[in-house]
Amino acid sequence: MTAPQYDLGTIQRWMQSVIMYPGGVAAGVETDAARKQIDITAADIESVITRSQKLDAVQRMEVYSGAYYARLMECIRGEFPILMATIGEELFDQFVVGYLNAYPSQSYTLGHLGDNFAKYLEETSPREAGRTSPWAEFLVELARLEWTFNVVFDGPGAEREPKLTPEQLQTIPAEKWPDARLVPVPCLRLMQLSHPVSRYYTEKRRNADAVIPDPAETYLAVSRREYIVRRFELSRPQYELLRRILAGDAVGTAISRAAEYYDGDAEQFAEDLRRWFRVWAAEQFFLRIELP
Amino acid sequence: MSTPRLGYPNLGFGVGLRAAHYPHILKQKPDVDWFEIISENYIDSQGRPRSVLDQIAERYPLVMHGVSLSIGSTDPLDFDYLEKLKRLAAEINAVWVSDHLCWTGVAGLNAHDLLPIPLNEQTLAHVSERIRVVQDVLERPIVLENPSSYVTFAASTISEWEFLARMAEESGCGLLLDVNNIYVSCYNHDLDPLEYLRGVPHDRVVQFHLAGHTNRGTHIIDTHDGHVIDRVWELYREAYRLTGGCSTLLEWDANIPDFPVLHAEVLKARRFIDTEAGTAESITVTSDNEWEAPPTETSVPHPLTFINADVE
Repeated sequence: MTAPQYDLGTIQRWMQSVIMYPGGVAAGVETDAARKQIDITAADIESVITRSQKLDAVQRMEVYSGAYYARLMECIRGEFPILMATIGEELFDQFVVGYLNAYPSQSYTLGHLGDNFAKYLEETSPREAGRTSPWAEFLVELARLEWTFNVVFDGPGAEREPKLTPEQLQTIPAEKWPDARLVPVPCLRLMQLSHPVSRYYTEKRRNADAVIPDPAETYLAVSRREYIVRRFELSRPQYELLRRILAGDAVGTAISRAAEYYDGDAEQFAEDLRRWFRVWAAEQFFLRIELP
Repeated sequence: MSTPRLGYPNLGFGVGLRAAHYPHILKQKPDVDWFEIISENYIDSQGRPRSVLDQIAERYPLVMHGVSLSIGSTDPLDFDYLEKLKRLAAEINAVWVSDHLCWTGVAGLNAHDLLPIPLNEQTLAHVSERIRVVQDVLERPIVLENPSSYVTFAASTISEWEFLARMAEESGCGLLLDVNNIYVSCYNHDLDPLEYLRGVPHDRVVQFHLAGHTNRGTHIIDTHDGHVIDRVWELYREAYRLTGGCSTLLEWDANIPDFPVLHAEVLKARRFIDTEAGTAESITVTSDNEWEAPPTETSVPHPLTFINADVE
């Protein structure tokens, strides 16, 4: 009997749907998606894939279907190491399989593989009274944090450009500050979180038995210096100030916004502002200051 | 007969650049002839990987080796991706640009695997045409590698070596002959690796790959996780003789050893290339049971490389 000849595109769509099916090759061949391309059962698979002396066609295809999940799992494990350590390899891998089915890669680079992982975890989180449970919320935030590290690590940075120094800041005349605009480095990211996930991240790296913390509103700046990702815990006023600066507001407007969240007196606020800007300049948060 | 290696130079003995070795390379400046990079790890990088690459490019010849060209796919070519390849090649002065004879996905998806194609006239015409388009965009001949494969198709009508020969002839591309992959595929498909090796157009071979693999008894997986086995070295000796010599590169992507171990492994190749001068060492091929690496439960075909973030 002559084997039926399928064209290249049909074979590729069939093979892809079979190897991406998480239930294995024999079941994958019989899914609607696969049968829409080549309408065969597992018993007929040798009309498409030939056997070898030692393996039948299903066993040979299993090399690809097993490798698909193993390979991408290995990548995602490397991108979310603390999340995996927190929930354990078995549960983490279950999440990854679900994620790869919901959001299969559409990019030529593995650099985008984890783009939607936190979103997927959020979408599939268990809910209590219509609300995501604190435990699930913590895991989603931890995934967001680790993904932010990946994005900042290989995204645009300012290592090769001059940055604003604390000394340069001191030369700005006081009357020019309100209308000045600080240009942030392109790697600066801000995060508002309902759990202290950054502190947990640090603790978990040191101590495998670190305990998941109780919810607490926290604010974070993530940036990069000399190609290493760095984290800075922020107070609410600091977060609001930087958020407005990143949005392109003038320094005066950003300070007004921060003041709404500041508890101390005006003199103390002024002193804190000077200190914050000095520290942030030393940490290379800004490329330059643009004066009116 | 075309110009040997399409006129590309014989760069000597190189290794695949992997992030684990960045500190050693930057500090020790090892005496390696050349490096091969995984293109996709760098074409978008604006962080440490690209910074390190620029430093290495100042000192060593570089070749770009991709895993996402998907030359055999029936999806349209990704011209943004090709432009990025071209830009990086210019910026790091890549000596040549290579990828694999495979497809990586269809219908807009990417399986990030080097999937095999049915070897027949339809595929040959399809692939050859796409190679011509890619070469027009990149403004240089590309070099394509024979991947390791684990299945064959009922729709195949041409041997892999004949396919490679006709593809190279019709498109003008070069070949990256992965000697380990020849061994792996021939084992998996009950073919003779020497017949394969003798069937490829030797003047089109620009480069060799060498790597370790995992033999699972019923099939071999191209794991790139260990030393090159003696039988692959034997094939390499023959390949070197048949082609007259080409740039040789060792890939090691899992259980990556310290750099000196990696470098020493590729330098073993020198033992196999001076036969006519009488200086090559003889290799005694041991029995099948002795020379194969032990199978592991987590055997994943490679190359797979992804650079993880450095977080303080």
